[in-house]
Amino acid sequence: MIPFLTYPLALMALASLPALAAIYILRNRFRRRQVSSLVLWSFHVQSKPGGAKIHRLQLPLLFFLELLGLLLLVVAAAGPHWQLPQSTRPLIVVLDDSFSMRAVCDNLSAQARAAEFLEKLFRRQPPPSTRFILAGTQPRLLGASVQSWPEAAQLLPQWKCWSPGAAIDSAITLAAELGKQQANILVLTNHKPADEKISNPRLEWHAFGSPLDNLAIVNASRTAFGDQDRCLLEIANYSGEARTTKLLVQAGSNDVQRSIISIGAHGQQRLIFNIPAAAPVLRASLDPDALAEDNEVQLLQPVRKRVRVQVALTNAALNSLVNRTLEATGLRAALSDNPELVIRESDTIISSNSWSLRWLSSTGAIAYVGPFILDRSHPLAEGITLEGVVWAAAALTNAPGEVPILLAGNTPLLSAREDALGRRHLTLNFNPGLSTLQNTPDWPILFWNLLQWRAAESPGLKESNARLGTEVNLKTTGEPVTVIMPDGTTTVFPKTGGDLALETPMPGLYSVVAGPSTNRFAVNPLAADESDLSRCATGLWGVWGEETERRLEETSAVWMFGLAALAILVAHLYLLAAGKGGR
Amino acid sequence: MDPAIRQALCDGERLGGRYALQVPQMAASGWTGSRSGRRTGSSIDFQDYREYQLGDDLRFIDWGIYARSDRLTVKLFREEVTPHLDLILDGSLSMNLENTAKARATAGLAALLATAAANAQCTQAVWLSGEGFQRLPNDTLVSSTWDKLTWDSRRTLDQSFEILAPKFRRLGVRVLVSDLLWPGSPLQTLRRLRDGAAALFVIQLLGRDDVNPPDHGNLRAVDCETGEETEVYVDATVAKQYAGNLAQLQQSWADGCRQCGTRMTTIVAEAFENSLGELESIQLLTPA
Repeated sequence: MIPFLTYPLALMALASLPALAAIYILRNRFRRRQVSSLVLWSFHVQSKPGGAKIHRLQLPLLFFLELLGLLLLVVAAAGPHWQLPQSTRPLIVVLDDSFSMRAVCDNLSAQARAAEFLEKLFRRQPPPSTRFILAGTQPRLLGASVQSWPEAAQLLPQWKCWSPGAAIDSAITLAAELGKQQANILVLTNHKPADEKISNPRLEWHAFGSPLDNLAIVNASRTAFGDQDRCLLEIANYSGEARTTKLLVQAGSNDVQRSIISIGAHGQQRLIFNIPAAAPVLRASLDPDALAEDNEVQLLQPVRKRVRVQVALTNAALNSLVNRTLEATGLRAALSDNPELVIRESDTIISSNSWSLRWLSSTGAIAYVGPFILDRSHPLAEGITLEGVVWAAAALTNAPGEVPILLAGNTPLLSAREDALGRRHLTLNFNPGLSTLQNTPDWPILFWNLLQWRAAESPGLKESNARLGTEVNLKTTGEPVTVIMPDGTTTVFPKTGGDLALETPMPGLYSVVAGPSTNRFAVNPLAADESDLSRCATGLWGVWGEETERRLEETSAVWMFGLAALAILVAHLYLLAAGKGGR
Repeated sequence: MDPAIRQALCDGERLGGRYALQVPQMAASGWTGSRSGRRTGSSIDFQDYREYQLGDDLRFIDWGIYARSDRLTVKLFREEVTPHLDLILDGSLSMNLENTAKARATAGLAALLATAAANAQCTQAVWLSGEGFQRLPNDTLVSSTWDKLTWDSRRTLDQSFEILAPKFRRLGVRVLVSDLLWPGSPLQTLRRLRDGAAALFVIQLLGRDDVNPPDHGNLRAVDCETGEETEVYVDATVAKQYAGNLAQLQQSWADGCRQCGTRMTTIVAEAFENSLGELESIQLLTPA
């Protein structure tokens, strides 16, 4: 119930009303006064003759005006508030953007039900202003404030429900910051809140989902496996009973696999198979069910980057050792005229984009057995342990500008620097004659890291298959990049700085045109939490406007009562001045 | 008698010493006195001659004219008379209204007029209305000796006339002192008073409360004579109506006085001593 009077103590002022009445009754008692004759008083209407009849209390108009004025002042002092449709709080709507909102029940998705509810809300009582927040993996504001349903309807097409998760709590936090604790927050989702007892009086949580059985592809990958590609498909059954579905895997127009899969209640099944590396897009699909979006995946050929390495070491044994090591990594490309990495004992630069590894293998080396100081955050140090390793190196000090990656005491064993063109120049202080490093697993790891690092810095996509909502990194050389989304929309990045993180707002095949080259990557909605529809629910949690904050929500009506009291007082003054206050 | 009334009589007597009753010519009659009358009399003031008529006093025959003209001629002398003042006091309770000075003013005014009459060689009689008209004891003497001057009657002047009419002296000067606040025809009352009088003066003596209505508020007005009550809320409008009623009443008395050849004035009791000029203006008093 709306507290009409905010300050009930002010109601104590109502005691002034009987006080006024008492004053008037006492004041209006007829003063007895002898007069010489009633001749002069014969003009007025005489009161009824006395007797057993009860005399009606005769009070002047002024009394009623004063009574009304006092009553109005008392009510005004009590701080009356009432809720006016035009003066409700602003509204911030948090829209669950996860793709589980697309699950269909009775031919209607939770997203459609939520939109219907929103429209009814706007039709019934449009808030003064409304903002939308899309609760995807990260909360995101959707457009500017809107005041009416048509304006809101223009924004809602951006609510696509393709996110692999819904950070509703973060979205509510953002909404609270935007609303400065004054706005009402409306959450439209398909599941109940984590804490069903909502403590925020400004929050209403509406869920429009239904617990549904669903089979989904929750994991899919295609990785390079020698000359072939290894594929992984993981299918989950999110229902309370065993389910059977038909799996169809196609590579282009060829069926790779067509099978019936039976999965127990809440069980999962993995399928691993190899396909030729030359096979085009791999498509895997399941039978239709409540959520169609997680029944199909597309997997592109994995990115196979190779590094052109030129080994120009004068030491034949060392040269052979390095060549064998590079070949073992599987990341070395056939050498052409434009090497991307040059390994030599001098510091000369061969081409404009080549990295260099300067090998210092002086004879006056000292064998270090540790301890070694390793920059674990460096790409070259990944996986390197150096346990029991003897590392022979010249006792040098660090050259200016070079950042040590590996140290033995104050002797740099491996260091790197970056020149003005962004090229890396590494210095390896290593004498294999006195060392045991080349006989340990750290040796191929070191070179694999080196080639992997170099490959990662070469232009192109880092991966060709990504999960929905993740970023796909693109290395460019600064040329404009055009991204063609699965729905055909095109985004152009006219100036790129080298690294470009591409968003994946929807599943499907993306095309990236960077200069003369065109790359593609596939995005699949792989999110086990979203595919699990068993926890979806319908209901309402929390109600706006608890009693404790009612005052903030309602419109003050003090001014109305104050104005009315003022008018009464003016009328009172006029009647008093004109002498018309009597009956 | 109330000492305050007695004191008022004394004060009025003192005030009256400065005035004399202005006796009109018509009132120059009455008992033999020391004042010249309008008829022939036995004074030493010669008035006229006329032929002797049977019955004339032989003492007034002018024998010299008879000797010269052999005609009996009588010398006529001006009559010496004592004019008379009939002072009629309204003895009703309204003349002694509480919280007003009406009673004291009435007593003072009566004493003043009586003294002024004495100064004008007039006799006086003081009539007090009540259960008929009664003369005050010792009313022919100086006012300070009057007695039984009380206002306790519930009768109007007209009713008193009906019960026992006063025996006014003919061709006397009559002065009515009353608040005139009773219903009825002023003309009838005035004619009764005016009948046989040389002159009639009406002095309306009102209290300040009679002139000005009470302050704003509810009032239960009680008629001090009849005991009737009426309730009224007094505000500016009512006050205006009250003043209108009073003016209308005064106008009706003034009209009656004009028809009867009577002069009338109104005096506020509380301002009695400052209102003596009004009595001079109606030619009732004149400085002694």
